[in-house]
Amino acid sequence: MIQVFAFYLFATIVVASAAMVIFARNPVHSVLWLILAFFNAAGLMVLLSAEFVAMLLVIVYVGAVAVLFLFVVMMLDIDFAQLRAGFVSYFPLGGAIAMVLLVELILGIGAWQAGSLNLAQRTAPLPEATPNIEAIGQLLYTRYIFLFEAAGLILLVAMIGAIVLTHRARGGTRPQNIDKQNRRRPEEAVRNVNQPVGQGVDLGGVEL
Amino acid sequence: MTSFIQSYLGTGFGWFVAHLVYILLIALPLMLAVAMIIYADRKIWAAMALRRGPNVVGPLGLLQSFADGLKVFLQETIIPSAANKGLFLLAPIITFTVALMAWAVIPFDAGLVLADINVGLLYILAISSLGVYGVIISGWASNSKYPFFSAMRASAQMISYEVSIGFVLISVILWSGSFNLSTIVMTQKGYYGDWLGGLGLNGHAFNPLLFPMAIVFFISALAETARAPFDLTEAESELVAGYQTEYSSMSFALFWLGEYANVILMCALNAILFWGGYLPPIDWAPLYYVPGIIWLFAKILFFFFVFSWVKATVPRYRYDQLMRLGWKIFLPLSLFFVFLVSGFLMLTRYGAAG
Amino acid sequence: MVDLSQYLPILLFLAVALGLSSAFVFLPMLVGRLTGSHKPDPEKLSEYECGFPAFEDPRSQFDVRFYLVAILFIIFDLEAAFLFPWSVSLGEIGWAGWTTMMIFIFELVLGLIYAWKKGALDWE
Repeated sequence: MIQVFAFYLFATIVVASAAMVIFARNPVHSVLWLILAFFNAAGLMVLLSAEFVAMLLVIVYVGAVAVLFLFVVMMLDIDFAQLRAGFVSYFPLGGAIAMVLLVELILGIGAWQAGSLNLAQRTAPLPEATPNIEAIGQLLYTRYIFLFEAAGLILLVAMIGAIVLTHRARGGTRPQNIDKQNRRRPEEAVRNVNQPVGQGVDLGGVEL
Repeated sequence: MTSFIQSYLGTGFGWFVAHLVYILLIALPLMLAVAMIIYADRKIWAAMALRRGPNVVGPLGLLQSFADGLKVFLQETIIPSAANKGLFLLAPIITFTVALMAWAVIPFDAGLVLADINVGLLYILAISSLGVYGVIISGWASNSKYPFFSAMRASAQMISYEVSIGFVLISVILWSGSFNLSTIVMTQKGYYGDWLGGLGLNGHAFNPLLFPMAIVFFISALAETARAPFDLTEAESELVAGYQTEYSSMSFALFWLGEYANVILMCALNAILFWGGYLPPIDWAPLYYVPGIIWLFAKILFFFFVFSWVKATVPRYRYDQLMRLGWKIFLPLSLFFVFLVSGFLMLTRYGAAG
Repeated sequence: MVDLSQYLPILLFLAVALGLSSAFVFLPMLVGRLTGSHKPDPEKLSEYECGFPAFEDPRSQFDVRFYLVAILFIIFDLEAAFLFPWSVSLGEIGWAGWTTMMIFIFELVLGLIYAWKKGALDWE
């Protein structure tokens, strides 16, 4: 009973906050609604016993991806009037994408209803007693090894791409060289002088 | 206790009441502990600076935090006119809620845990990654310069150190073979028991492969909770009071409560992951007569003392030094230890399987 | 199977924690109105700026390095996400699984070295 209640609670919040992502006027509010949607989707995953996926959803999407989104929308100067004007010109494209998604959904549900998906193929290939993290681990690093390495390559490309796109070498900075500082000894830096009165100090070519 | 209450109130409602009691048994003492630990913090700094610290309210100043709490409670809540009102009020709620939530999976003693989930450590990681939102939202919603700068700094700092914390946790998980915090505690039992005549040491930190990770975790914990020497989110000379500059009354206090609740949580995690949690430090039968919760609290208090000690003695880092430590030292080091620990385990424990 | 009854206390805890912290935020506002400490005026409500009116909108553009840190964080967080299942199933997957992960980590270390050499991790 509680599970059913929790399911409807999470599902309602997911749908409602997803709608708010679109309808919120302020992009920062949109991102926050998106976070709420992710969070409740994680709740739904827990109800499906996919606890690892639920935690990953929170760690990766809420904890990392949405932080980047927030950084971006908080710090970009967004001209709202221009956005509104863009709405009309982009409407055909957006509408077309929405139509494609709708058709895909209908096809998916239709195929499900038609019964062409063999239910036996969807059963879990591992014994029930294994916690699902270990179940994922046993498959991911053995049977899906190439997909896993491909994911690693994609991450590498993403990292290099991000650096190439955003990094600008800064001139005129004098970064601290901590190794050099730590290697410096008193003998190199300090000089004792028996200074006679009335004469200047010979700095010995030291630049000030 | 659950079955006792259920016998009076029926299965469903009795379960609800029992767990509500458990939750309040965690949340309320936690808030009390935060109040006392703020007092302890101030006393420790004062002692290290040869001052007296709070000593007026109550005997030895013990009630100082409660006096402060009452004062802020009766003060006016100021919402700046330029702020986003809803988000401005939401930020302290998020901070404090998140700080409380993580305690749901902390094992206080063998079997004494509110939610004994398989993925306890991942849950903690997930919850602590939410902590960054309280900071960003408060900084942005204040619509004021210093809070905003501070929030940007704080969030970049928190996410940088979360990376190395993640890899450090993997070393511990590799050794313990589980995400469940109770299992992680139990796998720390009796290091070197064979050599020391049965009197083993309890704690992953006594493992030479994991001890460096314990140090990295401790320092990352300092950075993650923005404690000195990494408290440059509230560097007074640069940023007034940090992201809570515009806050007043209890909303301001909630940031403090949340911050200290997180500090205690990090101390508890240090104790649980590396120093044996609720186990006594030495695997010797008479020590087990002392309840585990006492050992855990003793360890938490010890780590809190070290946190305070560091705060009283170490000067603040600069931002570039902070980032260098996180990305250029801790990240490669913890990655290397993932390699080292897993390689060692493959050679000794799992080698036969391959 | 996952024992869902272990997750129910967490949901309950969430409700209690949200209730407690909301009470802490909203009760003082109510008390402030009752005791008369709630006396806002325009100066008090203006944002903090060392005693003079703010010059500019505080939500200015920020250094791109903050975005870069966020992107690098996502990538390493994902890497950690791949490490989690690996670290508990090491016993079953054997040397092959271990080697796979070492190659994966090596790919990411290449990226880290690139970032390092490019100076993307520098904050002079």
